[in-house]
Amino acid sequence: MITIAVAVILIWLATFVAGQLLFKRAMDLSRKVGFRNRRTISVLSVGILVMTLSFCLNLGLLQRFDLSYLYPFQGSSIIIITLLAAIILKEKLTPRLMIGTLLITAGVVLVSMS
Amino acid sequence: MTNHRPSGFANPWFQFVLNIIGVVIYELLLKAGAAATADPAKSWSWFGINALASPLTWLAIAVIILDLVIWLYILRYIPLSIAFPLSRTVDVLVPISCWLILRETISPLRWGGIALVIIGLVVVAKPAAELEERL
Repeated sequence: MITIAVAVILIWLATFVAGQLLFKRAMDLSRKVGFRNRRTISVLSVGILVMTLSFCLNLGLLQRFDLSYLYPFQGSSIIIITLLAAIILKEKLTPRLMIGTLLITAGVVLVSMS
Repeated sequence: MTNHRPSGFANPWFQFVLNIIGVVIYELLLKAGAAATADPAKSWSWFGINALASPLTWLAIAVIILDLVIWLYILRYIPLSIAFPLSRTVDVLVPISCWLILRETISPLRWGGIALVIIGLVVVAKPAAELEERL
C-alpha cells in the first residue's frame, strides 16, 4: 500500500514536471513559428496529455490524503523544474533565483513533513 | 524573444495573480469533490475516476481549464524558471485556505515551512522585477 502510494506520488511528480516543460516549449515555439504550426500543436498536445494523467493521479491521491499534507509534495518539483528549465530550455539561472527557489522548496518540504 | 509585452488586463503579471487565485479555488474544489466520493477500497480508484461523480470535481475541472489557458499565456512572456517558483505562492495560500475553510489543522512546524516559502518568494521576486525592467 505504502509502496503504491510512493510510486503514484513519483509518477504524479514526473508527469507534472514534464508537462510544465512541454507547455513552456510550446509557448516558446508559438512565439517563434506561430500557434498553428504543427510542432507547436504537437508539443502542446503531448503536454496536455501528460498533464491530464498527472491530474488523474492527483485526484486518486486526494482521495487518500489531506490536501494540506499531499499538496506540498508538488513543491519538490519547483527545484527540478527550475533546473530543467535552465538545462533543457536554456533559461538564465542566477544565484539569487537559485537561492530563492531552494528556500521555497525547503519551505514546501517542511510543510509537507509536519 | 520579442520585447513587446501587453498592458492592462492582458499584462502577464496581472494574469499571474488571476492564475494563483484560480489554483487555490480549484484545489479546494478538488479536495471537496474527491472527499465526497472517496472509495479507497477499490484498487483502480488511484486514478481518481470516481471523483467525477461529484459536480464539485467538474466545477474544479472548468476552473483548471481556464487556469491552464491563463498559465500558457503567462509562459509566453515569462521564463519558466521564474514563473514556476513564483507560482508556488499557492503553497502558502492553499494550506492557509485549508486551515480557514476546510478546518484542517496546521502545526507550528508547518507554519515555519510557510514562512520559509514566503522568504523564498521575496528572494525570487527580485529577478522577476529585473526581468520586468528588461521587457
